Amino acid sequence: MSASSTTAIAGSETNYLNCERGIWSWLTTVDHKRIALMYLYTLTLFFFVGGIAALAVRTELAFPGGQIMSADTYNRWFTAHGVIMIFLFIVPGIPAVMGNFLLPLMIGAYDVAFPKLNLLSLYVYWLGAAMALVSLGIHPVDTGWTFYGPYSIKTGSAVVWMTGAAFVLGFSSILTGLNFIVTIHKLRCPGMTWWRLPVFVWALYATSAIQVLATPVVGMTLMLLIFERAFGVGVFNPALGGDPVLFEHFFWFYSHPVVYIMVLPAFGVIGEIIPVFSRKPLFGYRAVVVSSMGIALVGFVVWAHHMLVSGISDFSAQFFSIVTFLVAIPTAVKVFNWVSTMYKGSITFSTPMLYAMAFVFLFMIAGTTGIYLATLAVDVFYHDTYFVVAHFHYTIQGGAVIGLIAALHYWFPKMFGKMYNDLIARAAWFLIILGFNLTFLPQFVLGMQGMPRRYYDYLPQFADLHLASTIGAYINAFGYSLALLNLFWAMAVSKKKAPSNPYDALGLEWRTQSPPIKDNFETIPTVDDTPYAYGTPVASH
Amino acid sequence: MFRYLPEQASDFAHSVDSINNLITDISVFFTVLIVGAMIYFGIRYRRRGGVDHATPRIEGSHFLEVIWTVVPTIICIVVAVYGVYGFRVMREVPAGAIEINVTGRQWAWNFTYPSGKKTVDEFVVPVGKPIKLVITSEDVLHSFFVPAMRTKVDAVPGQYTYQWFRPIKTGDFQVFCTEYCGTKHSAMLAKLRVVSEAEFARWEADKGRALSPAEQGEALVKLNACGSCHSVDGSAVVGPTFLKLYGRKGEFSDGQQYTADENYIKESILNPQAHVVKGYPNPSPMPAFEGKLSDEDITNIIQYIKSLSEAPKVVVAKKQEDLTTMAPADRGKKYYQEKLCIGCHSLDGSRVVGPSFKGLYGKAGKFTDGGSYVADDAYITESILKPNAHVVEGYPAPSPMPAYEGQLSEEQVKDIIEFMKTLK
Repeated sequence: MSASSTTAIAGSETNYLNCERGIWSWLTTVDHKRIALMYLYTLTLFFFVGGIAALAVRTELAFPGGQIMSADTYNRWFTAHGVIMIFLFIVPGIPAVMGNFLLPLMIGAYDVAFPKLNLLSLYVYWLGAAMALVSLGIHPVDTGWTFYGPYSIKTGSAVVWMTGAAFVLGFSSILTGLNFIVTIHKLRCPGMTWWRLPVFVWALYATSAIQVLATPVVGMTLMLLIFERAFGVGVFNPALGGDPVLFEHFFWFYSHPVVYIMVLPAFGVIGEIIPVFSRKPLFGYRAVVVSSMGIALVGFVVWAHHMLVSGISDFSAQFFSIVTFLVAIPTAVKVFNWVSTMYKGSITFSTPMLYAMAFVFLFMIAGTTGIYLATLAVDVFYHDTYFVVAHFHYTIQGGAVIGLIAALHYWFPKMFGKMYNDLIARAAWFLIILGFNLTFLPQFVLGMQGMPRRYYDYLPQFADLHLASTIGAYINAFGYSLALLNLFWAMAVSKKKAPSNPYDALGLEWRTQSPPIKDNFETIPTVDDTPYAYGTPVASH
Repeated sequence: MFRYLPEQASDFAHSVDSINNLITDISVFFTVLIVGAMIYFGIRYRRRGGVDHATPRIEGSHFLEVIWTVVPTIICIVVAVYGVYGFRVMREVPAGAIEINVTGRQWAWNFTYPSGKKTVDEFVVPVGKPIKLVITSEDVLHSFFVPAMRTKVDAVPGQYTYQWFRPIKTGDFQVFCTEYCGTKHSAMLAKLRVVSEAEFARWEADKGRALSPAEQGEALVKLNACGSCHSVDGSAVVGPTFLKLYGRKGEFSDGQQYTADENYIKESILNPQAHVVKGYPNPSPMPAFEGKLSDEDITNIIQYIKSLSEAPKVVVAKKQEDLTTMAPADRGKKYYQEKLCIGCHSLDGSRVVGPSFKGLYGKAGKFTDGGSYVADDAYITESILKPNAHVVEGYPAPSPMPAYEGQLSEEQVKDIIEFMKTLK
């Protein structure tokens, strides 16, 4: 790929945003880019709603004793935070927004393989989201996002609505995953061999495989719940001879792989950003790809590490502890490769690069604290303490959310043809990273001191760290608001046009105008090299 | 660096902490190494003057890939094996452990000791002895977590789980519920008190003096966790407070008038759905206690609720009994009750820990050292003041009975003997 071919085609005035106008043109579109934007707006909304729930929880916990709400209200807020952030925001997350937008562009296709199915999956997502909101509205669930029985059976009917919502949302996931798999297999442009696929596409491929294979289990669980409630078949309820631990198995068989649905695409984003701003090929491309597939595979056999003290057999506990360590190895391989990419590079500290570097730091903490939790004798202590809460947020917020924000900043000029205010973007980056660490580093210490999670009130000895965590949460929220308002301003108000390829990046998505035309490319492009052919070739040794 | 785990109070806490600290050191080392390298590369190779400098197209290194696959693998194997080994110690209960049944319920922990003693949220164990907890739940999932002992296991309804630990020091330690269980999850706390063996024996044997009906009622209210929904201080929780409940007049949801008398309270306990007072959730979320409480239990609970309605509560000072006018045997009986002999020695011939007092006086038998005895005044006096001087065959040696030398006078011992003589 020569430098000249990456120069943007002179921007024609029509693009996917202005080719058709009116709300109907959006609601009936089958353009993957417009579908991606509709996901983006919906997800942003839920990110804010989930964030408000998080602030409600942190405000209550600022000081010991009741502050602004009762224990029951608190239980509903933390459940709302978990349910909204997980099922409505971060599971669709990067694949639905960035994956939808970028996949056809990155492999040189006019659209995904099944454009109408793609629109359907958006509508299915909206339906599931509406069901979740109904359940949160009419009968606020207070079970935690894990819905463990028999509590969830005793606490009313809302859990069926909620599991129903998860079931419908799951279908959206399955459809998107299926669509992506077929697209990647069938619609790669000439020359786009498997080993030339961008790592982001590989990450989407691994994610899609998990979505298609793991999500049906939630449907199964729902059917069993309905059987239990409607026909009195004892499955999970011990009062009917059922087994509540079985519910935990089913739940985590889906919900553990879901963690990789959240973070694998973020890994892909980081793998795209670091080479561009280092002007170096992604170090160990094949190792990075293989490690993504490895994580996806191993992710299926580690679910019971969420249940090491749940009463499963000692043999199971030992088995699941040991296999969990298998996740650590491919993850470590990725981190080493990202950092090595920067070696002898020409490094620009652009906003996306700052996010990518912060990601590496946060993910080191997320990964190493995962080792504590995989280690059986130590997990017995940490299970269901704040240590787990902090670890989870380092992987999902520090990983998946930072990955999504990094991606939005990186591909923003591609998506909207505009440039955001870089100074504000950096200030927001600083606040997000500062606030995030101030929120969750104290929670590791709280966990080490034995503070259990999902507590409305706590012993006075934990007060200082809780207050620090609450202050951090407000800074974090302010940072996100600033970052997203900055992007919104640039999108909706600013007239500052971005060049078609502001970073001189080699990916195929940059070989069309920004914003792209409706069909992405005038003609299907041909590629003859990897998307990471940066730098001067050196004599191989 | 980063050593925040709480005090170590069980014998395996130390090994758990050493695994934990090993992971901490490895984690800090690699985080500093990788983040340090990233920052170093960032600064060393930063673009200068807004112009890219030439970069080499390095695509990877097989050698490095092997290194950074193999090194983490070795570390993971070491840590994983160490963790599994530590876990096995936590699962192998040593022989002779004291077995205590633990039941979680919304929102209290109930403990049942081998002696039959039952407590709520009060967990007392002897130092140095292995303690095995057999755990279950009555309602939803709970989890029994003792940070100082480094143990935790879920309480699962319909199943039994267990954990064990050997306390290595005396003191008070926190117990948390760590599996979310509803409204008062964060208040589902218990105190673990590790005491000396002798103190534990005394504590376990102490079944309390004969309680008044109201006091028994109070214990029942505690044992059945009524306090989760009914306060005794006038504050509103889920149900009505017990304070000044008795005698209250009001209206049911169907408009019928009621007075909170004995029959109303009894019905409300046995069948809460029969009548629900206006303003309270209907149907009532309260479980029915039909078949769970005896008539006597309910009478006692009503007495307790009544006692909370006597306002202002006047503590009637018990009339000082005139010991001098009492018969010696009656005085002996009083000492028997006051000194809690009742905990180990029955009056009806049944064996508890020590021999029953019924028919004890004048009995003959053998000591553990082979000597024989007749339970006369001298023998009984010695047994009370110095229980370990001679222990009767078939009873635990050394005797768990505390020595009363210095606590009971010769006169008092004589009175107790007189009391025993009445128990033929």
